[in-house]
Amino acid sequence: MQGSEAVVTEKLTKVYGGKVKAVSEISFQVHRGEAFGFLGPNGAGKTTTLSMLTAGLRPTSGQAVVAGLDVGKFPELVKRQIGVIFQESTADGDLTGLENIEVAAGCFGIPRSEARSRARSLIEQMQLKEASDRLAKTYSGGMRRRLELAVGLVNQPKILFLDEPTLGLDPQGRAGFWGFVQKLRKETGLTVFVTTHYLDEADGMCDRIAIIDHGTIVASGTPGDLKDKLGGDVVTLKTASGTRDLSDALRGLPGVFSVQHQDSSYRVKCQSGETFVPIAVDACSRAGVGITGVSVKRPSLDEVFLEFTGREFREDGEGMTATDRAVMMNRIRGQMRR
Amino acid sequence: MFRELASLTRREFLKLARNPAAIFTSLLLPLLYLLLFGNGFTFNPQSYVGPNPGQFPNLQAALDFLFRGAPSYYSYFACGMVGFVAVTATLFSGANVIFDKLFGIFKRVRGTPAPSAAVFGSRLIASATQPILLAFFVLGLALAFAYLPPLHGLSVTANVGAVGILEAVAAIVLLSLMFATLFLTFGILIDVPQTYFAAVNTINLPVLLTSDALYPWGTMPSWLQNISQYNPVSLCVNVLREVFFGSSAYPYGPGVYLLGLLGWTIVLMGLAIGLVRRALRPLE
Repeated sequence: MQGSEAVVTEKLTKVYGGKVKAVSEISFQVHRGEAFGFLGPNGAGKTTTLSMLTAGLRPTSGQAVVAGLDVGKFPELVKRQIGVIFQESTADGDLTGLENIEVAAGCFGIPRSEARSRARSLIEQMQLKEASDRLAKTYSGGMRRRLELAVGLVNQPKILFLDEPTLGLDPQGRAGFWGFVQKLRKETGLTVFVTTHYLDEADGMCDRIAIIDHGTIVASGTPGDLKDKLGGDVVTLKTASGTRDLSDALRGLPGVFSVQHQDSSYRVKCQSGETFVPIAVDACSRAGVGITGVSVKRPSLDEVFLEFTGREFREDGEGMTATDRAVMMNRIRGQMRR
Repeated sequence: MFRELASLTRREFLKLARNPAAIFTSLLLPLLYLLLFGNGFTFNPQSYVGPNPGQFPNLQAALDFLFRGAPSYYSYFACGMVGFVAVTATLFSGANVIFDKLFGIFKRVRGTPAPSAAVFGSRLIASATQPILLAFFVLGLALAFAYLPPLHGLSVTANVGAVGILEAVAAIVLLSLMFATLFLTFGILIDVPQTYFAAVNTINLPVLLTSDALYPWGTMPSWLQNISQYNPVSLCVNVLREVFFGSSAYPYGPGVYLLGLLGWTIVLMGLAIGLVRRALRPLE
């Protein structure tokens, strides 16, 4: 690998059909052995970035170096160094768990006897031994995910790419999956690059994260650093609808850093929520505006996301919904293939 | 390359073996055709023999005209069924690729360094093996029916030597490879099942209906006869009929028809290799 970096991107860009810029000149590094989270809403450019890093998609411009290899020049060699767990389930339902891993091993040119022994070992590691000879279509969602993790590890990769790996799993399945990933990291020093919708997972699992929005990285750092950047607590005040704007009044109160007004809610970033709430209630009362709800939050990654994008994690307020954007991107990809 | 090919081919056969319904229906279709369709036609070549205009001086001349030397319509038709199953048994090979795309399995395989030749080759081997086995099933069944009166059956009237057997097998293998290549390429290039089936139907019906697989040769209009002689299904069937009936009704020997079939296969494979390599190149 190039120095201590597992992944290096320089102005990586992907434009679909010459019109839609899915990823725009992003540059970042993933250190060897770390877990790196890539966060963003649907259509933000997460999966496109991951596809470029895993040699599935050709960048329009810029460079990606994975495991010390330029992805554009050596896509097949890069594939040998990485494991990929795709967003959708890719387990072959008509094959048993063991056969799924053996076939995947064969795709890496691993001899049959070695493939069989690796498959047995991985099946045990993923606690699927009892179900190893059952067809994968009989597995639960969590078991399928663990099987796919085993498949992704069959070539003993240096870097594991996970594309929203726990999407659709119940909390128990999610916890179980991350337990296996953490154990692997501890035992093998594996580098993990993960895209996820679940900010709590990124918070608990990742050493560093990057937030991508509209194809550009808007923030990056450790979860702690990013939360510290918020500089304090976040208080949300809800008022009756139709009341006058209190933004200026709230901004003038002691310990307040910033105020965001949306509909009848005020999101106030302040030094201490406990001190601010009684003062704010009093100020609103004096202004003749009734408070209908108050919440105080210590900074979380959700707050970090909101701070850097100005939007809730699953919103897209610029005309096109995140789903519309994803559908449009898929259509464009389909047209390009044809 | 060979390990990747072997592993992916194993996957194809495991999937096939675990689908007994598909195996059953693939056997049922030719069985029903042999039992019902073949026995449903009662051409009497004797009625073509006589002194009147349009009639032939003897039975062999009538058979040569009607069935290109086959002793009965059933024997003529049984050989045609081999061409028929080569088309119908490979129809779904491309659909399986599309379903694997929809279920993410194709994406996972493409995420590995397995070369596109192994990805395509494994499916080609599995897809072509089915019509080859079915061809032997069809011929075996048609031969057996000859011993089960009142059913009609296939009567081999020539002395079939080792060369004849090799020629017949080569024709069956080439035709199966050709159609498996064609439909697999469709499957790789097309993403939507409805589009695939529409494309396949625009190919398979014209191919079958412009061949002499099922029509008695002598009853076909001359324009259809002209088209038919270039049809790959007809080329395969011609080889089988010449080998089994030793007919002099054909202008060329089996080797010429085999060469024609080889030409079709090479052209289609050449096109397929170019299109598939482009579609499966490492970076989209």
